[in-house]
Amino acid sequence: MNSLNFFNNLGYAWPETIITLFLAILVIYNLVYPQARRALGIISLLGIALALGFTIQQMWTQFPTDPSWLSGFTRMLIPDKIGIFFKVIILIATAYVVLFTEFSEELRGTFDRAGEYYALIFGMLLGMMFMISANNFILLYVSLELVSYSSYVLAGFMKTSERSSEASMKYIIYGGVASGIMLFGISLMFGMTGTFYYFDISRLLMMININSVLFLISGIMIFTGIGYKISSVPFHFWTPDVYEGAPTTITAYLSVASKAAGFAALIHLVRNCFVGAVATDGYWVMLSHFYWKELLVYLAILTMTVGNLTALWQDNLKRMLAYSSIAHAGYLLAAMSVLSNQGLIAMVVYFSVYLLMNLGAFFIVILIQNKTGSENIDDYNGLGTRMPFLGACLGIFLVSLTGLPPTAGFIGKLYLFLALVDAKMIILAIIALLNSVISLYYYIRVLRHMYLTKGNNESPITPSFGSVLIALSLAVPVLLFGIYFTPLIEWAKTVVLR
Amino acid sequence: MDLYLILFYFFAIITLVSAFFVVTTRNVIYAAFNLMLTLFGVAGFYVLLGADFIAIVQLIVYVGGILILLIFGVMLTNKITDTDIKSGFLNRVPGLLIVGTFAGILIGTLLKSTWRIAAPLPPPVAGLVGIGNLLMTEYTLIFEILGAVLLIALIGAASIARKQSN
Amino acid sequence: MIPLPYYLLISAFMFIMGVIGVLTRKNAIIVFMSIELMLNAANLSFVAFSSFLGNIYGQLFVFFVMAVAAAEAAVGLAIIISIFRNKATVNLDEINLLKW
Repeated sequence: MNSLNFFNNLGYAWPETIITLFLAILVIYNLVYPQARRALGIISLLGIALALGFTIQQMWTQFPTDPSWLSGFTRMLIPDKIGIFFKVIILIATAYVVLFTEFSEELRGTFDRAGEYYALIFGMLLGMMFMISANNFILLYVSLELVSYSSYVLAGFMKTSERSSEASMKYIIYGGVASGIMLFGISLMFGMTGTFYYFDISRLLMMININSVLFLISGIMIFTGIGYKISSVPFHFWTPDVYEGAPTTITAYLSVASKAAGFAALIHLVRNCFVGAVATDGYWVMLSHFYWKELLVYLAILTMTVGNLTALWQDNLKRMLAYSSIAHAGYLLAAMSVLSNQGLIAMVVYFSVYLLMNLGAFFIVILIQNKTGSENIDDYNGLGTRMPFLGACLGIFLVSLTGLPPTAGFIGKLYLFLALVDAKMIILAIIALLNSVISLYYYIRVLRHMYLTKGNNESPITPSFGSVLIALSLAVPVLLFGIYFTPLIEWAKTVVLR
Repeated sequence: MDLYLILFYFFAIITLVSAFFVVTTRNVIYAAFNLMLTLFGVAGFYVLLGADFIAIVQLIVYVGGILILLIFGVMLTNKITDTDIKSGFLNRVPGLLIVGTFAGILIGTLLKSTWRIAAPLPPPVAGLVGIGNLLMTEYTLIFEILGAVLLIALIGAASIARKQSN
Repeated sequence: MIPLPYYLLISAFMFIMGVIGVLTRKNAIIVFMSIELMLNAANLSFVAFSSFLGNIYGQLFVFFVMAVAAAEAAVGLAIIISIFRNKATVNLDEINLLKW
């Protein structure tokens, strides 16, 4: 392999290269101009926009259908459209989080360290981009750790706040254990197959007979690492504490971006290691070494039920949204457990919608927190009349999170149920439906506090122009996709079916 | 009983005993020193397995770096004069039950498994050269990402550990 | 020569010790040590497999894991110091502002 080959191969990783470059620019700029905080945000947005441009351009690049022929380091990356979709999701989420930071009052005390904040966000972004396209267990592990370290520090970024450093502590302990277990699983997998590449493992699985019990153990251990990132149920314990303690901008980021990266890594792992072929009706023909279907179905049921039931008695809104994000991970796992292209389309639709509504809900929480200094549900009393516009926006996002029409959340749920019913997984569909009904209670409870309970303070709050603009940019698509959803579905189909 | 066997059992005893004490001792400093012995034992296994480069890296990075960091952690979070650096146990029973089941399954399967390895192969090609070649060719990408990991860890650690300036 | 399962058993023992430490100990620094034990267990089985398969990739992974573990220790220590400054304790059951 010569150096020319290296530069040719770089074409597969342009967005990642740009992010690395901007990470370096941010660090150096902060060293030269330590006081220029605004400029750092603008540089970050510029970098994200450039990376987004290159990522979207990759949508139209013709990638080889069988990446195993690739040479050099590109062998480690899976260049497929589902990965590009998740990268777009992550880049958009990052852009919004950088914007949210401008409005966050609680981060004001850390503005002297703004350079580090943006650098860590870019580090996390870089890790997630590689995690999504990883085709190699070493790359998966290293990029997962890159994401983890950035998020540990970001969760504890308000270091004078006890809650924040406590969140960070719990996060790193759970994260360290999960990645240790994952590493041991990878070592067993290596012992059985002698390789780290997904494609080689899947080729080996077709040819040789592998000790199935040990394979099962190692598969479950590897899933632990990913399951902790998507906060699927046995590995979800960190989620509420970290989401409550971390700065709200970072909570929003973790709930969307790091979950997206985890799901993308899971999809790639399953699809490239364990799928023999794709049948003409879109269902995946699985290799018979691992019971992905059973595992995913049970985890999905557990995850959504535990998430929804625990969310019922949460009084802190951030904590409630944390449990709701666990529940949403459960719905996404249910879509995944169909193990077909239809299930994947449902996931893509659901995640596009989830990005908008979850970011939106957290943004309003940030704005209310700025005014009231609290996320407790009792402090939301009467807010609907004090801030009619933001209250209406939060209403839209919460209704959408429940999955009621005419919002985009309904479309996400609809496609999920269609995929489940189509696969004759009626029981799972019914459980998901019951869960949605349960979730109605705690989402609507917030609205009841806002509109029907009288607060102590009656003075109206006027949001700034910029925050109105951002809230609109999230709320309008949520309503729009709820009514006119054909483009979303068409896009999901092109993403999944090439 | 050749030298190889003697060395193996020697390292095995060191590793197993000290790993046990890391987890069970009540004194943090004892735990740190036991961890050092475990790390030495593992380095010994690496030598026996023909991975001399990894063995040296183990000594430099783990014993020389990570362990020192952990001991710094102990010293920074306990006053030196404070002899009471004891630590107790937490939710013992359910945890041990889960681990016991898991350990049984894991060790049982490891013993029962047939590996694709008929006979032990000679140690792989010169470790240092092989690893160096791979790092600069096939695994360049991960090597570069590792740079980013270290940079982020550095920035993050410095950012969160230094005193808040006013 | 020592057969492969011997190494694997030692590695499994270390791993289980690490898991027990994480579940039962409440001093954050000892929990970090237990996590290091788990990583070392995985490393040992990587090197054992690598040597018995005649395959250098396992050793390569160990190299990466060591670098990553060093980074983890640095971040972990920083977080321990930050929490110690706020609460003057590293005992996990006194760190309870957020419900576990």
